[in-house]
Amino acid sequence: MPALELLFGTNGWGPLLLKGAGITILLALASAPFGFGAGLLLALMNLSGSRVLRGACTAFTTLFRGIPDLLSLFIVYFGLQAALNWIASRVAPGQAFTMDAFVAGALSLSVVVAAYSSEVWVAALHAVPRHQHEAAHALGLGRWRAFRLVILPQLGRVALPGLGNIWTILLKDTSLISTLAVSDLLRAASEASRSTQRPMLFYGAAAMIYLFFSIVSGGMQSVLERRANRGYA
Amino acid sequence: MGGWLDLSMIEANGWRLLAGLEITVEVVAISCSIGFVLSYPIALMRMARNPVPRTLSLCYVTFFRGTPLLCQLYLVYYGAGEIRPFLTSLGLWWFFRQAFYCCVFAFSLNTAAYQAEIVRGALLSVSRGQIEAAQALGLSRYRVARHVVFPQALLVALRPLGNELISIIKASALAAIVTLLDLMGQTRLIFARTFDFSIYLYAALIYLAMTALIARVWNLVERRLTRHLRKRADPVSRAVGAPGTAPSPTELSTASQAR
Amino acid sequence: MYRRIIAGALLALSLASPAGAKEWTTVRIGVDATYPPFESVNPQGQIVGFEIDYANALCATMHVTCTFQNQDWDGIIPALLGEKFDAVISSMNETPARAKRVLFSDVYYATPPVWVTTADNKNDDVSPAALKGKTIGTQSSTTFANYLDKYFKGFDVKLYPGGDEPLADLANGRLDYVVLDLLVTEKFIEKNPGCCRIISKIDRDPDVFGPGVGVAMRPGDTDLKEMFDKAIHQVATDGTFDRLQKKYFTVDISPKK
Repeated sequence: MPALELLFGTNGWGPLLLKGAGITILLALASAPFGFGAGLLLALMNLSGSRVLRGACTAFTTLFRGIPDLLSLFIVYFGLQAALNWIASRVAPGQAFTMDAFVAGALSLSVVVAAYSSEVWVAALHAVPRHQHEAAHALGLGRWRAFRLVILPQLGRVALPGLGNIWTILLKDTSLISTLAVSDLLRAASEASRSTQRPMLFYGAAAMIYLFFSIVSGGMQSVLERRANRGYA
Repeated sequence: MGGWLDLSMIEANGWRLLAGLEITVEVVAISCSIGFVLSYPIALMRMARNPVPRTLSLCYVTFFRGTPLLCQLYLVYYGAGEIRPFLTSLGLWWFFRQAFYCCVFAFSLNTAAYQAEIVRGALLSVSRGQIEAAQALGLSRYRVARHVVFPQALLVALRPLGNELISIIKASALAAIVTLLDLMGQTRLIFARTFDFSIYLYAALIYLAMTALIARVWNLVERRLTRHLRKRADPVSRAVGAPGTAPSPTELSTASQAR
Repeated sequence: MYRRIIAGALLALSLASPAGAKEWTTVRIGVDATYPPFESVNPQGQIVGFEIDYANALCATMHVTCTFQNQDWDGIIPALLGEKFDAVISSMNETPARAKRVLFSDVYYATPPVWVTTADNKNDDVSPAALKGKTIGTQSSTTFANYLDKYFKGFDVKLYPGGDEPLADLANGRLDYVVLDLLVTEKFIEKNPGCCRIISKIDRDPDVFGPGVGVAMRPGDTDLKEMFDKAIHQVATDGTFDRLQKKYFTVDISPKK
């Protein structure tokens, strides 16, 4: 059967691929804010005075940067479910707390993103000069407002390239969730190629869509970087 | 769930994990080496004046860095099956028939793209002044490259290349999805047989040991090779200010992590 | 995604029942939809197949609503035990090993496993001696894999995550032989004529294959088992089973008494 027919015909797999692309983007968008936010928290922990916090932060980042993302995914998927069941059996016996594979995927990706981005945030925190903190303090801004209004915007500028890289990694890591039978783009391509025995066509199409996402992300990153660097030499 | 530290399971299945580990090490070592060999020519092509090699290599690098490794792996593994007659006519089917070689093929191409970008960044980081000075000294192009540019570029590339190696070790887990019984594959097999979740934790420990070891070794190597660039703790340098340290590789290092 | 959140909240609310006797109004069913014609995913993204129709018939008889979830075969029992769904209706054979972990209903169908090879391979001898050195493949965590593990120790057996994937690799020559279900193989050959041929059927060693396929549930859900058993019996006797199997198959797959 000609390729166009397979993709766009009445019984074509094109719509399923596009739906999968939607799930992929959704997954990345669901993971990114939690991941970057947690990464910032980890970075702050890393720079705090407490040795316990620093140790915990280092242990966390070492673990999730040191094991394959696929393994992280499985550990979160099966392990968290087991933990949830254990909690449920203690707290509310008879009730089932179940975790969607999508949620497990988003959680595990957030964790990985947090671990990677913490290093970027640490570098960014170092890059903001001390006198900014002091100036904010001199203006009478409390710790939280100082952070939100003075430090964070400057952090953003320095962290942007690194975070942009991590976003690209995240987009591609979403493909791992296809191994958990979630209908993302790669899974849709797998179903289609399995059913029609035309893997080149469908995996090629999926690759093109991922490429499109990557290029668009790269473009957006450039735009954001240029905006963030207005006013700087 | 089974005991968290069920040692009897290790007794029964430990040899499987070791067999898997062996395959993982093989795949990683071969892919990384091939990638390293390919990275320099690709980096040169990226910096060529002629638009043809420049565009070709840009397309190559963009494709392999812009699409997920799992997708590339599927393309190679299942795609090869689809074009089997063509491959047989080229006498290449014996290669793509094996999951091991398919994985090595896909991983090598993938890491070559990342390493090429690292190498390119490193080569570009060597200041023009160095090259001009060397040329002014009458050194041939080859000599300039070998004695001036390469050593400095290598130092800059060292940290990101180490990160890339760690990246490949982690990415190799995907081979399990195309039937290769590497460490991850054996882990899944054992889980399917025993339903004991803790096998994933043991596998995590092994991966962690590998990546931590590489990170340690790489750190030591980097420290040793950049000794001459670090601030010395003697009174003269403190007063005068030590000569510049190596350029920060943080940008390059984050660039190397994607799959 | 919002639908997911709302559905999840509703599900949680619907599960907020007192501990003990459970009112089964909804049964979540896990399937590995890589096994046509029993279960597969169609271009519209829906899970379809004989077992979906059959499960719907059972649920209608039991007066419950059934929902289906796709789940990779390797993790289907852990997912069941982890309460991601309540039953597995996915061509799961009732082996003694599995019966230790899950509760099985009565058997509702039984089909023979077969040896498959490429069309141009004229060898009919499938003893371990004759197949020495050959590459054999099947789906992982299946009775077929266990069969090969028991009788073909030391062979290079390739295990695939998806149900009919081994046949695809047989067709392109990566594998020399495959052990898989008769009807799944016939369906594959129907879609890819001339690729492969079935050599012979394999006797169902009860230790490895069990008596047939049944519904898997968590060990505590004996009331659900009763409901399923009644429904299976009713569907088998009132002609629904025959009607469904005629729609998909040319042979009779009901379990032999």
